[in-house]
Amino acid sequence: MAAPELATILLVEDEISDATLLRRAFASAHVLNPIVHLRNGDEALGYLAGVGEYSDRRRHPLPALILLDLKLPGMTGLQLLQWMRTERQLRRIPVVVLTLDESPSSINAAYDLGANSYLVKPGDPADVALLVQSIQRYWMELNQPPPLVMGAEGEA
Amino acid sequence: MSDRLVLLVEDDPSDVRLIQRAFNKLQTSVPMTRLTNGDDAVAYLSGEGPYENRVAHPLPGLLLLDIKLPRRSGFEVLDWLRKQKTALRRLPVVMLTSSRHSADVNRAYDLGANSYLAKPETPGELDELASRFQSYWFSLNQPPELHGNAGATAR
Repeated sequence: MAAPELATILLVEDEISDATLLRRAFASAHVLNPIVHLRNGDEALGYLAGVGEYSDRRRHPLPALILLDLKLPGMTGLQLLQWMRTERQLRRIPVVVLTLDESPSSINAAYDLGANSYLVKPGDPADVALLVQSIQRYWMELNQPPPLVMGAEGEA
Repeated sequence: MSDRLVLLVEDDPSDVRLIQRAFNKLQTSVPMTRLTNGDDAVAYLSGEGPYENRVAHPLPGLLLLDIKLPRRSGFEVLDWLRKQKTALRRLPVVMLTSSRHSADVNRAYDLGANSYLAKPETPGELDELASRFQSYWFSLNQPPELHGNAGATAR
């Protein structure tokens, strides 16, 4: 990845109020990374695949981290995850599930499909701020991300 | 089930000392069991040989895995783990290694590592790593179930 710009975070979340809360929390945590918010799985797939308006990767860069809700209109979060993990350019991008769903079956399924981590949305906005701070500190600062694949490089 | 145990697989004694010291400085540190090679890690996780007794040797909540290890490498352990037919295959794995090579980072993610951490150069940075690592994986993250047979959703 040659671009000096800050890595993009992709937020896939259908609830506008949740997305607004998360965006605000990122801003208060002084996260300067651009946050792209998409409202359903199909749109996220279009973005990640670089279809149509998203084909310009300078304007719509691949994200360094995906925060993925599970319950989405149309394609679900788990279906999106399953698809991503088969795509050469996308399969390594860290995916953190961020959902209200606390059921063990969803948690297990997410890990089975290759989620890197599973977080449950807190009810209290103050806890959302702490959660976002932890995400920033762990995934954007501490974790070594996979080098983003721009072309045909990155052979396994 | 012991969600609150880290299994550290690291062969370098001085690295082990530094890592343990950093974790011990935390207010409440999650217990850590240490193994020195890849074969022992596989034996421990399978509950074989000296690790048969799960009361004495409980499954960890997370595997903290070096890459360069005697016998089986960290990659081989990870590959073995993700190919298991039981729920054990979901065990979160964080690589902790001195390598920052793209090829190693890529390979770790391809084999199903949950996260990849580079060993810091200074003790101060290692303290920070221990703190962030523990609070993220043991306070925030929801772990999978590791017991029983897993369904058909193999990756």
